Amino acid sequence: MTENTPTCCQEYAANTGMSRRSLLKSGLAAAGVGVSTSLFGSTFLQASYGATRQAGNVLVLLSLRGASDGLSLVVPHTDPAYYAARPGIAIPKAALLAQDATFGLHPKLAPLLPMWDAGKIAAVHATGLPAPNRSHFAAMEELEDADPGSSARVGWINRLIGQDTYTHPLQAIGMGMSVPITALYGPQRTVSAYSVDSLALAGDDQWDTAHRRRTSMNTMWAAAGGVLGTGGRTALSAITDFGPVRSTSTTPANDASYPDGDLGRALQAAARIVRGNVGTDVIAVDHDGGWDMHTGLGTLDDGLMIRCADELASALAAFFTDLGTLGDKVTVVTISEFGRRVQENGDFGLDHGYGNVMFLLGAGVKGGHYGTMPALENSLDADVPVTTDYRSVLAEVVTKRLNASSAAVFPGFTPETIGAILV
Amino acid sequence: MTVLGTSPRTAAATTTTPVTTYPATKVLDLRSLHIINRFTGGWTRGLGAQVTAIGGIDKWFARQLTPSLISDTYYTSSGAWWPSNLADSLTTIERANADIEPLWEVSAHYQTWSMVRRIGSQRQVLETMAAFWEHHFHVPTDGSESAGYRQDYGRTIRKLALGRFDTLLNAVSTHPAMGAYLGNATSSKYSPNENQGRELLELHTVGTAAGYTENDVKASARILTGWSVDLWDTWVPSYRTDWHWTGPVKVLGFTHPNTSTDGRAVTKAYLDYLARHPATARRIARKLAVHFVSDNPSNALVQHLATVYLANNTAIAPVLKALIATTEFRYAGGRKVRTPEEDIIATYRALGVGIARPTQDNAAANAMLWQCDQIGLTPFGWTRPDGRPDTADAWTSVSRMLGSFDVHYSMAGRWWPTVGATYKSPAAWLPQTSLRFDRFVDHLSRSILGRPASALILKVASQATGFGAAAIITKDHELIKWQMPRLLSVFLDSPQHLAR
Repeated sequence: MTENTPTCCQEYAANTGMSRRSLLKSGLAAAGVGVSTSLFGSTFLQASYGATRQAGNVLVLLSLRGASDGLSLVVPHTDPAYYAARPGIAIPKAALLAQDATFGLHPKLAPLLPMWDAGKIAAVHATGLPAPNRSHFAAMEELEDADPGSSARVGWINRLIGQDTYTHPLQAIGMGMSVPITALYGPQRTVSAYSVDSLALAGDDQWDTAHRRRTSMNTMWAAAGGVLGTGGRTALSAITDFGPVRSTSTTPANDASYPDGDLGRALQAAARIVRGNVGTDVIAVDHDGGWDMHTGLGTLDDGLMIRCADELASALAAFFTDLGTLGDKVTVVTISEFGRRVQENGDFGLDHGYGNVMFLLGAGVKGGHYGTMPALENSLDADVPVTTDYRSVLAEVVTKRLNASSAAVFPGFTPETIGAILV
Repeated sequence: MTVLGTSPRTAAATTTTPVTTYPATKVLDLRSLHIINRFTGGWTRGLGAQVTAIGGIDKWFARQLTPSLISDTYYTSSGAWWPSNLADSLTTIERANADIEPLWEVSAHYQTWSMVRRIGSQRQVLETMAAFWEHHFHVPTDGSESAGYRQDYGRTIRKLALGRFDTLLNAVSTHPAMGAYLGNATSSKYSPNENQGRELLELHTVGTAAGYTENDVKASARILTGWSVDLWDTWVPSYRTDWHWTGPVKVLGFTHPNTSTDGRAVTKAYLDYLARHPATARRIARKLAVHFVSDNPSNALVQHLATVYLANNTAIAPVLKALIATTEFRYAGGRKVRTPEEDIIATYRALGVGIARPTQDNAAANAMLWQCDQIGLTPFGWTRPDGRPDTADAWTSVSRMLGSFDVHYSMAGRWWPTVGATYKSPAAWLPQTSLRFDRFVDHLSRSILGRPASALILKVASQATGFGAAAIITKDHELIKWQMPRLLSVFLDSPQHLAR
């Protein structure tokens, strides 16, 4: 539904032939006057959370918004129902990558083949919510709250970082997002930001030698109430705390090349956060790139799926290339609010379904296929059933990689063992 | 969860007022300011004078609810600044196909116009409500299939924004823009596309709490089959009787034999039913309360507004009148956080920036789109059908806060945008040739925030500039010469300006 958005914005910016930021900063020299008196220097208030700590293992949660079609990403090529249900959009067996006796990968996932072949990618099949919920918004809420027994709106990432005594807001970061996702919501402060380089206070510059701008802003926001007040103070403190991240190179390492678009930008920022080593345990990234393919999912020649799959694989491959050996502590999990129907509709698309595939990539992952993929049914309403609760997959990652307690992160839930995480 | 633990009003009341004030710059009482902050693009001294001239906020509000009494020339004159905003949809699509004005430009032009209207229109309450419904019946401005029809969609909503919800629901649900966006334009009895049928229930009317089933969703989609748009070729909308699914349908308590291949009557009966469903009444009441009262309105308030809505046959204006009469509304001043577009609109108004017909892409009337983007979201740029979030926890991220501070600073300094924008000169902010710093700060607070300066604002202003309360300010003073960007930012970056 949004396939034109990035293009549109790029075109719009390109058409003006200018960088917004450079324009915003131009002319600031006019403000350059040092004011000699410092009347209120002693009232400087730093919203303080203490120092950041050394980072341990990092979980990157990549949410594919809009409900991705798992059957197109990892095709069960021996199931005749798959081909019968999708005369217009099924992917021919011959085109599939990394084929085994049951599955093969979408050809546009090619950039991830080296990692797949190295056993660093696991696909967990037929995962999802314990009961179907075909509403994007309600499903996302349920998925990210992950505590069906409670009416409090607290996301599972927020519970995860709330388990230790470390309370720095950089412990969990939503990157590439101005609006935090539900998984981050809750009593623990977190940071959501669109980009690394935007984390600066306008006017707090080299000409403000008496630090009047920063001092006065700290005073104004020191006692401001409610969510807004917290937001102001967190923002002012994040400017300082993000320093090591801002100091990392804006050029990816190891000749990594990210695809254009929000996902590539967000993952590149995520790599800088890991490199900056500011005590971040979890980085949440969204891919809101058009997965809701009711119409025009398409074929291998044309349509939305080839575009989305290519962007996803290219961005993830670039991310791990960029990280290099730092990737040894980074595990990526992909998730989507639900899967799509088995049978295609009249618009070369797929309506809302149920079960879906989750990918695990990187550190600690034992590559291959996991979960149980039942035989598909070719009927109008048939879904991929769910045979593995998505929380089992997340629980394995957070317990084995982040030493968290599954019971605290997913209250009232007893996870099954997937076996896709070694350590 | 409180949005502002202490409202700005309470905070101001518990601190001492500045030593000297500048009462010659008139402000209204706090209730009037509260209504203005919620139902307009934001405070201006001109609006304050207008309210006073008409005889008070209640008379002003009543008049605003009858927009035909108020001049609408700004709507048409500003609409004509861009080629597509007042144009017929098929003409717009033709021009896009010919690459004269591509669809992504068409979308951008609508986005900027929607903000310009809210900054400059005399029909402030109508514009506020038009934006409210456009967010409710969200169709993104993203240059995709719906873009050619998006202008007409917005104009249609504005026309009906203070009318009856059932009329509005019928107009938007059968509009080509929504059909193209949610797949109903190509949904047929042979292969129904469930998307709009589901979102109609979940987002536009009853909500998931109504307890409809997947069978209800399917029936909802079947009822809507037939409203086609030829997305492959001519883009002409038409009702396709050969596509309409016939046979008995049942959605919640709605049943219909649906025997005719012309399903327009069953569509209307169904939408009229949904508009009057108690779950719709509560949902619309709650959405209005969240937007105009607080992030967590009481159930009693929601039920009260729902009752008014149903008692008035889904008419919208009586609900708004009831809303502003409640105690809960009255004591909710400053409890809503401005969204990015609301921030930009209020900032142009507060600074009194004149906006001219754009002659180039970086003119203010176009550039305000990037200003919104820098804060976090362009108007109707939310990519999912649920519309942008409207609560404080969504709009207080690090990016949002620092983005707002950056945009404010650039405008306070008159650095960007520069083309097509007329700013007040630094000296023009002085209300008289010479006055104390604290009186100047009070004048600025009244001008920009619509309220006297608090002791905290004065302290922050002193810290930001280095001048004490008794400093005498003239047009040749170094404050006016150099430091006005930092001083004006104090007000724009305050919790009072970021909230409404």
